[in-house]
Amino acid sequence: MPRVYVSSVIDAPAARVWERIRDFNALPRWHPRIRDSRIENGEPADRVGCVRDFHLQNGDRIRERLLGLSDYDMFCTYSILESPMPITDYVATLRLTPITDGDRTFAEWTAEFECDAAVAADLVAGIGQNVFQAGFDALKRQLAA
Amino acid sequence: MPKVVKSTVIDRPIAEVWEVLRDFNGHDRWHPIVSDSVIERGQTSDRVGCVRRFHLKDGSELRELLLTLSDADMAYSYCLLETPIPLFNYVAHVRLAPVTDGDRTFWHWESRFDTPSGRERELADLVGREVYEGGFAALRAHLGAGSAA
Repeated sequence: MPRVYVSSVIDAPAARVWERIRDFNALPRWHPRIRDSRIENGEPADRVGCVRDFHLQNGDRIRERLLGLSDYDMFCTYSILESPMPITDYVATLRLTPITDGDRTFAEWTAEFECDAAVAADLVAGIGQNVFQAGFDALKRQLAA
Repeated sequence: MPKVVKSTVIDRPIAEVWEVLRDFNGHDRWHPIVSDSVIERGQTSDRVGCVRRFHLKDGSELRELLLTLSDADMAYSYCLLETPIPLFNYVAHVRLAPVTDGDRTFWHWESRFDTPSGRERELADLVGREVYEGGFAALRAHLGAGSAA
């Protein structure tokens, strides 16, 4: 099962970073690759089980379900329901941990999924760089102390 | 029960940091408050259940037991068996995680313990500052990893 793991350090207190990313419907506000988003059926974005329906800048449509959310441990876990990528059983977790030394944030984004062996390496690299690291780079820019 | 949590980023790849930290008997080589250390009964320092007996620079003798060691998770846990400092039921956990952005290491160190009534703050500060933060600075210097990454 291919696995993506990307982690970074964001120069801002964890509570501040969490505030920015905790809203499951707020990707367009902080992630440069996402153009628009809405939660289906008008549900609250922190209702576990809700589904976000969003578009990338290139028009691709993705639907993801919120599987887990914790304000205590600062993580969000979600699965992909629909996407143009040749993958199945995709589950990802975005997690923050405080770095007490300097009051900064250690951010980890992981994903596991199934796909054809032939495309695994490209997908891992693409998701890792264009979704995860790109997201962290954006947060670093937006929240730099 | 006071809980102490300290964490930092070391500007070295995780394999390098783990190689030093996984040696339960290696702390006298990099932590300034430890003057000498030995694993009892001639056991190796990666044998879960082994006990390290060590002295601080002020002469105090302590014994700690290795509860957990995981190369898969780059984590270990230990508890205090004997100490002249009144820390009771002290259990500590260390875990490392890679910071892929920059090939660095995230180091998380935490513990819970009981203390005599009224000494919680004093002892939590001792553990957090002298042992943990002191340890971060010491390992950083030992690895030539510059200032906080």
